[in-house]
Amino acid sequence: MSIVNKPGAISTWYLPGILSGLWLTLKYMIRNLFDKKKMPTLNYPEEVYQYGPRFKGNHILTVKKDGSIRCTACMLCATNCPAQCISIVAAESADQRVEKYPIKYEIDILRCVFCGYCEEACPVDAVRMGPEWQTAGLNGSSFSYDIQHLAYRPQLKGGILSRVDDEERHKFGI
Amino acid sequence: MPKVKLNGKEIEVKPGTMLIDAFKQAGEDIAHYCYHPGLPTAGVCRLCMVEIEGNPRMQIACNTVVTEGMSARNNSDKVKEAVRWGLNFHLINHPLDCPICDQAGECGLQDQYMKFGKYTPEMSEQKVKKRKVVSLGERVVLDSERCILCSRCVRFTSEITKTNELGIFNRGDHAEIGTFEDKPLNNNYSMNTVDICPVGALTSKDFRFRQRVWYLKDASSICTGCSTGCKIRVYYNEEGLFRIKPEHNPEVNGYWMCDKGRDIYKHVNPEARLQEARWGQVGNWQVKDIAEALREAGEAIRASVRDSHHSKVALVLTGQQTLEELTAAVKFFLSDLNSRDIYHWINNPEEMEKFDGLLFRGDRNPNTKGLLSLLASEKVSATWAQLEGKLNSHEIETLMVVGPEDPGVFPDLAAKLKLFAKAKRLVWLSSARVAAVDQVTTATWQIPLKSFFEKDGTLVNAQGRKQTLRKIATLIPAAVSVDQAVAVMSGREKAVPMGKFELNWKKTNFFVGERGSL
Ligand code: SF4
Ligand code: SF4
Ligand code: SF4
Ligand code: SF4
Ligand code: FES
Repeated sequence: MSIVNKPGAISTWYLPGILSGLWLTLKYMIRNLFDKKKMPTLNYPEEVYQYGPRFKGNHILTVKKDGSIRCTACMLCATNCPAQCISIVAAESADQRVEKYPIKYEIDILRCVFCGYCEEACPVDAVRMGPEWQTAGLNGSSFSYDIQHLAYRPQLKGGILSRVDDEERHKFGI
Repeated sequence: MPKVKLNGKEIEVKPGTMLIDAFKQAGEDIAHYCYHPGLPTAGVCRLCMVEIEGNPRMQIACNTVVTEGMSARNNSDKVKEAVRWGLNFHLINHPLDCPICDQAGECGLQDQYMKFGKYTPEMSEQKVKKRKVVSLGERVVLDSERCILCSRCVRFTSEITKTNELGIFNRGDHAEIGTFEDKPLNNNYSMNTVDICPVGALTSKDFRFRQRVWYLKDASSICTGCSTGCKIRVYYNEEGLFRIKPEHNPEVNGYWMCDKGRDIYKHVNPEARLQEARWGQVGNWQVKDIAEALREAGEAIRASVRDSHHSKVALVLTGQQTLEELTAAVKFFLSDLNSRDIYHWINNPEEMEKFDGLLFRGDRNPNTKGLLSLLASEKVSATWAQLEGKLNSHEIETLMVVGPEDPGVFPDLAAKLKLFAKAKRLVWLSSARVAAVDQVTTATWQIPLKSFFEKDGTLVNAQGRKQTLRKIATLIPAAVSVDQAVAVMSGREKAVPMGKFELNWKKTNFFVGERGSL
């Protein structure tokens, strides 16, 4: 439990407030000048902070064993997304075992709030939030992630395998 | 009138009522799959179990006629347990397809599981695999794994259309729906089987995978596909219209509608529509502000009357518009222009009287009766031959045509346009974008009209019933109704009233538990 000290009348005065703020800045400036190692800020982009591998950043669309996309275009993620930034167009697949798949799957990453609801909604582990978090781009269009980017960008090294395997599911008769 | 007591509620029903209808009348929830009010009873799903007082065993409500003083209940633990087990058995072989199943969201299994099921499945055997994605015909796809063998579709083809395409083949848990020797299911009512199928076993090829049902808003309307005027439900969102289903109207269509009527959304969607007013002729078209185009066109029509002391104008009407619109156009000619040159464009004279005995009529205009009675009451008797004569002798200076909403049902469109082009000026009002109109060789105004989806009005169907059409949303901002157009053309109004801007159909999750309830 935190104890809050109600500010007294003195805190509403102008000069004490300003001076104490300046003093704080000055204190850290002097400390950083003499002890650079303790400085908490990083010189991004030369130095990059390493988040844990479970960090929930940029989306990944997983793939099946044959490398095709796992998503079944059920649109549960798009329905669940509070930012409404996922747009999917479904189509009939030529593959007899697949039936429905997305011909378009786009995430407008600038609208995404990284809540992770899409990942949670997906019944087949087709969309995941990966550890990447740097989303630089040259213009607006580079923030609209399509299937090519979400599933097969070079960083994924050929795609991430989904945990839900239809073949196995069918083998167990469910 | 027998009095019955259902779950303790006392109600009075008509003699001969089935117990399940009595339950519905009393407003009591009752589980069911195979029962459909428009079909004969089958009693195969065993879900509508009730306990009848004085009867040691439970009975099915859909095949029990109520008797005086009967007391039944379906909220006892015994019944609930029976329904839960019934559902459990129905779902033994049902695949885990909901994510890719078009029915999800309006599925009888999902709904009733949430209402009456909520059990933990105890089945450890493997599921029986059956055929998936079987094309049954031009419009219907079958997935036999999802079928629960309620036999509604079979009863529909045997009792309603009497075409008997569908049947149940094999026995036990290998039983499945199919057509004999894989003959296609292509009758004009085939899509009703998709509607009545309580699960996703039968789906529509046209609608498959285009939208999830919870993204669709729905509204009631009247089918304009033919002069029967079935009551329909239109499903739409900001991306356009996606499908049409029948709504119950005992006086006109019962529970059904035909497959041709289900296509009428296609000529309402923006891509098939005339988007803005245009002026010009072949090879040289100019986009105009709608009010300006209407003022110019009206000026041209009135000038033709003023300059020549006898009528050099003519009006061509089709049975595709509402009574209010047609009346406005006729009044414009009769009183403002003092002309009786009003003609009825009959699109398919040979088929006009045809009727297939169920719903579909050869007269593919929703308001022919309305137009005919209007012309008769105004004593307009001009014949088409007269118009042809006048056009061929270049007597007509300005011709106003209130064209078709659905150009697909006007096989003579191109030929008629050649005829109309013989007038010096043409005022063409139509909601559809017609390629042939862009080829006319005479000075033409093209005025975009509203479709049935976007306006209020009255349609008179083949039985002479007046049916009210309600505006649902606006698709084309520039489009006007004929009465709005005529008001500007006659000079009574200066501009077209701005429509209200609606946002109520933005694509979001419109999910409602009621949707698709059996
Ligand atoms: S993380 Fe949240 S906001 Fe971003 S796409 Fe997923 S559901 Fe939408
Ligand atoms: S990513 Fe998952 S939830 Fe989203 S459409 Fe694909 S399968 Fe459905
Ligand atoms: S029929 Fe119903 S329960 Fe079966 S897969 Fe389709 S939506 Fe799910
Ligand atoms: S296909 Fe549908 S309507 Fe026909 S028997 Fe199966 S579940 Fe019933
Ligand atoms: S047995 Fe009564 S509804 Fe199926």
